[in-house]
Amino acid sequence: MAPSDSSPSKQLRPGLWQVVNDRYPGSMITKEDLVPLAALKKPLSECRVAFLSTSGVQPKGSLRFDTAHPVGDFTFRRVPSESPVEDLEIHQLKYPTFGAERDLNVIFPIERLRELRDEGVIGALNKSFYTFIGYNMDPERVERTLARDVAEALVEDQVDIALAAPA
Amino acid sequence: MSLPYLKKAVAEDDRETLIRYVRLHLGDGDDAAGSKEIDKAWVEALKPLLELPETDRGFIESTLAERDHATLCHLFFYLHLYLVRHSGEWIHDGPF
Repeated sequence: MAPSDSSPSKQLRPGLWQVVNDRYPGSMITKEDLVPLAALKKPLSECRVAFLSTSGVQPKGSLRFDTAHPVGDFTFRRVPSESPVEDLEIHQLKYPTFGAERDLNVIFPIERLRELRDEGVIGALNKSFYTFIGYNMDPERVERTLARDVAEALVEDQVDIALAAPA
Repeated sequence: MSLPYLKKAVAEDDRETLIRYVRLHLGDGDDAAGSKEIDKAWVEALKPLLELPETDRGFIESTLAERDHATLCHLFFYLHLYLVRHSGEWIHDGPF
């Protein structure tokens, strides 16, 4: 795949947050800053890819996400990208996990990404994927801590693409 | 509801907003379901005590005396989920 030439100056889905806040007063997030698109600088087949997920997937035995706290959990877990799916579990109350319990890949496509790596479609998988839960009532804290910490980890790992998917 | 919205409700002693938020939280976005969940937890806490079983009062007293207020509040939310899970009627999508 050729590097993207998408314009970084166009905001995707303008007005989205206003709609959310109109529907749920006082809720969620207000976001007016322009978030520019980042252009891919080299072919996908040479890129190191990390996966980010709000699914609450985590290695068995790690401190489970805090689904009881009324304001949320602002921590993340590193999930080794070579983890067998049997070594992973989900701690999250706020979305149906029935399908994911049968096949984790529907929410956390770790095996599909390994296949793409093995086929040479993507260059490499980062040693870690990053997961957290989406139930966080303080979006500013998400930006200041969780998002910053994950971003710093991605930079440290020299990741080219961070594929993020909500649950 | 965002954290600033809830803190404003605390500052203004807007209990209706705070109660609704707790119900929404415990009812996964449905305040009527959340209200029912709160009742369910209290019933589940009451039932075993009707037989006056021996309980670990020492643990209770020392926990209340030695743990900080925020930790006890956090525990309260955990106990809610523990009790509704114990009831066998689990409305949440994921596991506790």
